[in-house]
Amino acid sequence: MSERSARLVRTLLLIFLGLWLLLTLFPLYWQFITAFKSAAETNRTIPTFWPEVWNFGNLTAVFADPSNFGALVDSFIIATGNTVASLVLGSLAGYAFARFPHQAGGENLAFWILSNRMFPPVAILVPMFFLFDAMPWGTDSYLSLIILYLVFNMPLATWLMMVFFRDAPRELEEAAYLDGYSPLRAFVKVTLPLVLPGMISVAMLCWIFAWNEYLFANLFVGTNVRTFTIVIPTFTLGSQTLWNLQMAFSLIAMVPPVALFILLRRYMVRGLSLGVVKG
Amino acid sequence: MARLQIEGLCKGWDFPVIDRLDLTVEEGEFFVVVGPSGIGKTTLLRLIAGLESPNAGRIVIGDLDITTLPPYQRPVAMTFESYALYPHLSVFENIASSLRAQRMDAAAIRTTVTEVAKLLRIEALLDRRPGEISGGQKQRTALGRTLVAKPQTFLLDEPISHLDAKIRHELRQQLRSLEELRQVATLYVTHDYAEALSLGDRIGVMGRGGLIQIGSARDVFMRPRTLFVAEHLGQPAINAVAARLADEGADMYVRAGNSGFGFPVVAAHAAMLAGGDRAQITVGIRPQHVKVLRNGEDAPGHHVIEGHVEIYEALGANGVVVTDAGGVNLTALTSLDRDFEHRQPVRLALQTDAVFYFDSETGSNLLL
Amino acid sequence: MARIRLTQVNKIYRSREHAVHAVKDLDLTVEDGEFVAILGPSGCGKTSTLRMIVGLEEITSGDVFFDDQRVNDLDPQARNVAMAFETYALYPNFTIEENLSFPLEVRGIPVDERRKKVRDVAALLRIEDILDQRPMALSGGQQQRVSLGRALIRDPAVFILDEVMSHIDAHLKFQMLFELKRIHRELGKTMIYVTHDQVEALALADRVAVMSNATLQQVGTRNQLYHEPVNVFVADFIGEPPTNFFATELDPAGDQPVLRAKEAPLTFAVSAEHGRRLRESGRRDFVVGLRPQNLRLDDADASEEQAGGTLTAEVAVNEYVGERTILTLTADGCRFRAQAHAETAVGQGEKVYLRYASSDVMVFDAETEALVA
Repeated sequence: MSERSARLVRTLLLIFLGLWLLLTLFPLYWQFITAFKSAAETNRTIPTFWPEVWNFGNLTAVFADPSNFGALVDSFIIATGNTVASLVLGSLAGYAFARFPHQAGGENLAFWILSNRMFPPVAILVPMFFLFDAMPWGTDSYLSLIILYLVFNMPLATWLMMVFFRDAPRELEEAAYLDGYSPLRAFVKVTLPLVLPGMISVAMLCWIFAWNEYLFANLFVGTNVRTFTIVIPTFTLGSQTLWNLQMAFSLIAMVPPVALFILLRRYMVRGLSLGVVKG
Repeated sequence: MARLQIEGLCKGWDFPVIDRLDLTVEEGEFFVVVGPSGIGKTTLLRLIAGLESPNAGRIVIGDLDITTLPPYQRPVAMTFESYALYPHLSVFENIASSLRAQRMDAAAIRTTVTEVAKLLRIEALLDRRPGEISGGQKQRTALGRTLVAKPQTFLLDEPISHLDAKIRHELRQQLRSLEELRQVATLYVTHDYAEALSLGDRIGVMGRGGLIQIGSARDVFMRPRTLFVAEHLGQPAINAVAARLADEGADMYVRAGNSGFGFPVVAAHAAMLAGGDRAQITVGIRPQHVKVLRNGEDAPGHHVIEGHVEIYEALGANGVVVTDAGGVNLTALTSLDRDFEHRQPVRLALQTDAVFYFDSETGSNLLL
Repeated sequence: MARIRLTQVNKIYRSREHAVHAVKDLDLTVEDGEFVAILGPSGCGKTSTLRMIVGLEEITSGDVFFDDQRVNDLDPQARNVAMAFETYALYPNFTIEENLSFPLEVRGIPVDERRKKVRDVAALLRIEDILDQRPMALSGGQQQRVSLGRALIRDPAVFILDEVMSHIDAHLKFQMLFELKRIHRELGKTMIYVTHDQVEALALADRVAVMSNATLQQVGTRNQLYHEPVNVFVADFIGEPPTNFFATELDPAGDQPVLRAKEAPLTFAVSAEHGRRLRESGRRDFVVGLRPQNLRLDDADASEEQAGGTLTAEVAVNEYVGERTILTLTADGCRFRAQAHAETAVGQGEKVYLRYASSDVMVFDAETEALVA
């Protein structure tokens, strides 16, 4: 490729990236500035791109009803509870598929499990409601959503952990057996550390899904348990939506996942140490 | 007593890889299994280690029948061809692995591991990770991990085949001199015949289905039971010539090719060959027993034939000459200081008392 | 056909933390039709050199010429080189014929011409009878030949082979080396072969370039490298079994200077010419190199009476390896090796005498490690 056409391509690429960046960052930017506007300013027909007055009070106003803070806590409990359950069950299943494919049901079964993730969630909304209503844990409880979200998170966890376990060389476990470790001890000593980065990535995916879920939360819970997702629509005054408060609250709700990501990023980057088992 | 006994071992998938194999390795013996890649040597080790279950047969170590025991209950330690070092643990922890499994106390572990590390000259690397050390060092770490376990049987799977030639020589020396390996039964697997001959107290040559011949280095090299054994030991490979035996006067002659290639069979061999099939046999002559004579040189006791040079190559410590002698291609070993031209006429001296005669169908050595 | 010339080529890999100088000031010429091997231990810079010749790495400084054309900025496709890799990289779903014709298909060569070229290459490599099979069904050696064929079929100016022998069984290696040599002879192409195995390099190449630590140590024919190694590294790296080295001191007394080993009761006699050179150098400490093949057990083959000397030692190990025996000897703790006939029956602990010719003694300066005599 000649020098000039290479430069042209590079310029076009930059323009494209610039536009893409604008498109993706705009909602975040809008959310941010709206969170600090007054209600009146958000209602203007000609919108402003920078708050005239910075209403930091919005951040505390959203907690005027103290149970709203409890909603954040509830969401955290549900998301974390479900993630742990999905990961434990998914890892066990994934390990079975990776190490004993024949006995576990084969690749077909594993793929069928994954396919459960692919249908629109709304399809099972109503049947699940009636099913859970009949269950001892009811619909309006922590356990209800924790179990429900397994429908979506566990297949993903199973499939991904299967892939990660496949990548962990079987020979290392065999070496551990010969060193005198039983299969369980060998798993803990050798396999687990190797798939840990993968596991953390899977955990993040499961947690984010559970944290952000609105559809089922809206129908199932509301009194005993409240997630932050169903609290957001409550910021209204009669028929008037208080956009600024909704934005402020969602801004606050962004903090836990981002904090978690920053905390766990270190573990996700440290991948399998290659070069110790020859090609 | 830690003698390893294998009786009637069978293992196969679509076809039998190991078929009724019997083997006894005495305590303190260094037994080497040599054979081509893919023949089943690693399968044999894995069966003894417990990583595969046999279709039939028994494996006994000392008084303990381990046939049905899982690998972590067998008094066996193995080094893998790929080293299988734990990437997330230090060299120290890798070596200490089996000791931690036995829940030995920390001080004892430290002493034992440092001792073995010093023996293998890797004590400076104890804090490093496997990803940071060289191939030879990884090899020694894997060996250390095996030695420390103090098992009743050592299994070594091609431990030095992937290393540079110089390090291979060094490690071969070390393996020979390691006292630890001499205290129990050791089973060593390789595809390199020179390594096998150099290291083994006894050598087992493995072919399809099992061990074709077991014997000392000189046994398997100088008295091969079959053509397969003769071909797989030696570099360059033995000259295998399709020939026939003919009575010419009082002597028996080997005849092959289309332009009068032949040599007389020595009396002792002729006596054993008499009465057998004369029409088709395979004659085996090792390249070291074909001497390329210098001008004016003589070779008493050898049979001299004429030929010309096809190719001359240097190969390691020797020169290799491929010649055409009466329509038959013969490879000969020479010293490195010679030089040959293409199609140069040469005189070849065959050491006829070192020639092998194999049945052309079964491949078995007719002289044994 | 191409004559390849590297002048003062350097390669420096830069990352955020440090810079690695992988190839230093390399000067090398490969004549048209020559078979040159680049030999060295892992990490010596041979692979980086290769990749710069092919065009897969940028050249930090210096020039590479193909027949007087400067190719530094040319892509690999434009340089007309073909490369065969260590891992054969064959397309598993295609037959051998399809694998071979792929490079031509990609270039839009018409079907008839492709078929003819495939037949030609298959004949050259003796793989005509497996053309309709898949790679999975073939042995390692056969796959190797197909991999070579796929590189050759493009009729490149230069043929590059990167550690192609690593996965061949020991007793088949000679056969494959032989095949490669034959192919080179029949095609007459310029070939560059990279390896860490000196047996392969010396068997195949017209000339061998020995590299260590990013620097070219010596380029020469097999005989030159074997008999006139330029330093200790080359003398050590070339030769199987490895060369014996002794730390010695020059004893100038008497009309015939000798070298006395520092840690063993061994004395080495050198030729008059070499002795004079040693005395004139004014140095005292030298390293003596002696190949195991050049140490002969006394009373074996006394056909040539040459000026030389004798070493007395005890047998530590008798290694029978089929075609020959390798003896490990020890003299007061100093260990060295000698090669002997296969039938040699000396046992451990026996005292033996080893003769050598003074012309086989290699003397290196203890500090610079360069060859002095």
